[in-house]
Amino acid sequence: MLCLVLAYRHLNIESSITLTVFNLFFISLFYQLSGGLTRKASILACGNIIGLVWNYVFQNVANTGSMVFGISFNVFFSVIYPLLTLTWIVPFWSLSLSILPKPPSNVRPPA
Amino acid sequence: MLTEVLNAFFLFSVVVITAYLIRHYIFTVTVLKSAQKSQPATTSPSDYTPSVTVLIPAHNEEHVIGALLQKMSELNYPKSKIEILAIDDASTDKTGAIADTYAKRYSQIKVLHRGRDIGGCGKPAALNQAIKQAMGEIIIVFDADYIPHPDVVRRLVSVFIDPTVGAVQGRPVVLNEPENIVTRLNSLERIGGYKIDEQARDLLRLIPQFGGTVGGFRKSIIQELGGFDEAMITEDTDLTFTIALSGYRIRYADDAECYEEAVASWSAYWRQRQRWAKGHMQVCLKYWHRVLRSKHLTFRQKVDGMLLLNVYFMPLLTLVSLGIGAYLIVTGSILSSSLWLVAPTSVYSFVGNYAPFFEIGVGAYLDGRRQIQWLAPLLIFSFILNTLICGKAFLSLIVDKALRRRSVWVKTEHTGTANSYIQKQTEPKTDAGI
Repeated sequence: MLCLVLAYRHLNIESSITLTVFNLFFISLFYQLSGGLTRKASILACGNIIGLVWNYVFQNVANTGSMVFGISFNVFFSVIYPLLTLTWIVPFWSLSLSILPKPPSNVRPPA
Repeated sequence: MLTEVLNAFFLFSVVVITAYLIRHYIFTVTVLKSAQKSQPATTSPSDYTPSVTVLIPAHNEEHVIGALLQKMSELNYPKSKIEILAIDDASTDKTGAIADTYAKRYSQIKVLHRGRDIGGCGKPAALNQAIKQAMGEIIIVFDADYIPHPDVVRRLVSVFIDPTVGAVQGRPVVLNEPENIVTRLNSLERIGGYKIDEQARDLLRLIPQFGGTVGGFRKSIIQELGGFDEAMITEDTDLTFTIALSGYRIRYADDAECYEEAVASWSAYWRQRQRWAKGHMQVCLKYWHRVLRSKHLTFRQKVDGMLLLNVYFMPLLTLVSLGIGAYLIVTGSILSSSLWLVAPTSVYSFVGNYAPFFEIGVGAYLDGRRQIQWLAPLLIFSFILNTLICGKAFLSLIVDKALRRRSVWVKTEHTGTANSYIQKQTEPKTDAGI
């Protein structure tokens, strides 16, 4: 929640929406996986911090870019923003799933 | 005027992309809840043993057909109630000879040789001819590169105890996953597609897709419907909707597993997915209005049916809408800048064959796979490739329609290298080679 507020007040609305959706998906899906609540909460907190830092860094890149290249850089940044979001969410999600305890595998070897 | 049209299109795209995202989220949650409740397997070997014909269409499959026929001889299904019919479809290699060898060795194995005058023009035609001489009331189809579990036929057939079930789809698992990055990414896509997508559609009583292999249908239904449409290059998708629109149910059997040889090069991946995309688009054009008007489908089935039919158009729609959105932002004429905010959420669909990464990730998790999760970020590249594939498939389909010519069925080549992984598998598949 703190990260969402920070994103909204100090970054931009795209960051807030991204983090909100990230949290919604994470909480609703991860909650049902195996592993202790502490571990999941820690992973969620890390995700929010990483997301916040990531957006902060790129927000500064956008601000600097628009100062150097003009308003067109802002437009360019808006267009590539989804891909930039992808570069932190997908690896984080994948890494998080890989460190949870695994359920029993039901894929059987060929006889 | 142009701005208004572009804004309307952008709004439409946002709604459709969001619909897919919600759909995949519902699928993922559904399967997770089901796994938590430890529900019994979708199917289990039972005493229900109707007569079965297993069809194995094979065109130039000398590298793989022997291994499959050997496994077929080891199925734990009553020998008196099963026939295995290998279809040598105008092969120019030793496929026919190898099949004949097994037919001489095992009485339940038979071979249908199709000459070059009528054969070699696609799987649907081969299946149609074989169905005419099939003895079983249930037809099960396997592609030649598959390695089945001994009880796969029992598990597939058990769903037909319900007379409303018209077809069943089992679960292909990539055997040569450790071969290279292509096979590993292929495996990830398969995990998402079957473990989550198909499973959820079965649990929610939607329309699981018959995939043309590791699956089956009632012989009476296929005869009633006139057989496979030989003009379609994805006859499996075509049959899916034919059966669903006839009022029969299609089931998915997650524990009816069968190992397959995945394509191991990007060029083979391109050719295979090109056929899937083009064929799927063909089926969409044929059935979309029938799905909407059907009296046999529920509202939910119609919605999911439409989303399933249009799935191969989605990568194109996503990129076009991003381009249009960018143009509208640049010109300052976007209807509502808040629509562009959906873009961050659309990114969730930017992986693989248009499946959200969380769906694939959860599928791999439920399979007990950990290290393969690390490859999920690489699916963005296969998504880009799939977008190009869908674009080319769309153009190719338009050209075929304009020239009124039949689409060509392109065979996937199999090398038999996956068979070497059978000996390496001595325990349940984990993250071998990753």
